[in-house]
Amino acid sequence: LQPIKVPPPPPSARAVCKEPLKVVDAAQIALLDPSGARTRLFSKTNPDAAKVGDILLVRQKSGEPFAGVCINIRRRGVETGILLRGQLTRVGVEMWFKVYSPNVEAIEVVQRRRKRARRARLYYMRTPKHDPGNLEGVVRQYMRQRAMLGKGGGSK
Amino acid sequence: MPPRIQLSHARLAQLPPAFLNPTLYASIARQCPQQTQQQQQRTIRTVVKTKHHTKFLKLSRFNNLPSLPKLRASARSAIERRIASDTLPLRTGVLATKKGMTALYSPDTGKRTPCTILQLDRVQVVGHKTARKHGYWAVQVGYGHKRPATMTRPMLGVYAGQGVAPKERVAEFRVRDAKGLLGVGEAITAGWFQEGQWVDTKSNNKGKGFAGGMKRHGWSGQPASHGQSLTHRTMGSAGGSQGSGSRVIPGKNMPGRMGNEQHTIQNLKVLKVDEANGLVLVSGPVSGPKGCIVKIQDAVKKPWPDLPGILPSLETTTQQVEAQT
Repeated sequence: LQPIKVPPPPPSARAVCKEPLKVVDAAQIALLDPSGARTRLFSKTNPDAAKVGDILLVRQKSGEPFAGVCINIRRRGVETGILLRGQLTRVGVEMWFKVYSPNVEAIEVVQRRRKRARRARLYYMRTPKHDPGNLEGVVRQYMRQRAMLGKGGGSK
Repeated sequence: MPPRIQLSHARLAQLPPAFLNPTLYASIARQCPQQTQQQQQRTIRTVVKTKHHTKFLKLSRFNNLPSLPKLRASARSAIERRIASDTLPLRTGVLATKKGMTALYSPDTGKRTPCTILQLDRVQVVGHKTARKHGYWAVQVGYGHKRPATMTRPMLGVYAGQGVAPKERVAEFRVRDAKGLLGVGEAITAGWFQEGQWVDTKSNNKGKGFAGGMKRHGWSGQPASHGQSLTHRTMGSAGGSQGSGSRVIPGKNMPGRMGNEQHTIQNLKVLKVDEANGLVLVSGPVSGPKGCIVKIQDAVKKPWPDLPGILPSLETTTQQVEAQT
């Protein structure tokens, strides 16, 4: 039997772009974090990165700055989020922040954890025994030090 | 087969009217091409779709004459109603794969818009459906590539006849008229859609296997405690007794296979179009798992997109198709 000849296929966009999610993510991150500072702050390879267990202060476009212990870093490219556990008027509050959101103006490391946390998600901090409680004192001390240094470092 | 009858015009006038026995009339009409004016008027030209291939137009059993009011229950009227309701898109759609979801942030307003990434791959027009042959207008679109070695000879012949490379998946996109048909073999890229236009997506939703009543129909089940024995998620009752028919009514909702059915999501906005990478980003979720095939077409519940320069081939194709019909 003679083989039936069919035309060859046209060029494939799928071959050109094998991982569209990564391409879209990279374009978004380039737009939202041009200096790369935010990416470095949460990069796994950076020894000075913010880690789970550190106390972080998030300054937003509108609203009061929120400080809390970082109990979770959810890495999803441009959708990376951090879960901070703090206190608002003596009530324990957990807040998620999208790290690349334009509404998040600055993320500062107020206090680093003394030793590396032995797990990735610190949900045990919800129990009264491990709850860090009120962080106003820690944040005030950090602000005083920063003012003394004349806005030297820490803000990214 | 009825016997072949040689008749004169005089004999024809004595026959019963055409609508009583259209097949007989058709066979006679073929032998006597010179018909009287009355008989010409009686020739019924409605296209009726049949399961089998017919060499001639199947004659309608009803008095479907131009002088009489239009029959509401006819194929012609149905098509005219459909066109009048303006629910058929003017142009074809595309096939794409659902690659996953992400979000787009607006640097000015700070607004986050979740979106689904759909990728086109070697999308070409594979064929047409025309009103004369099939009773409706549609464009057959193919996605991807299938190796000729894995295809049957009949299907290879189809593709060779059309002059298109074999496709992994083919789907039809119904259009309003011949103007919506693209040339066979024409490639469709992501640039087919504009940023900011509305689209409808059709894809099979995720299969859930054999699903119970609580999942499939939202039943509440039974209490967890207070003496319930081995009955927490069951159906309970399947209906009344003697007074309600002494049986389970046909069509009763029961546990069974759920999912893996076509699901249409309407009015999704196209947020971004990346023609080089074949990407179309639509706002919101799209049915189905990652890697599923999605049909994207202009939204029927929104004004048709204004596209001045995108469809240059339509003019030539319309002329070709109208020449054939």
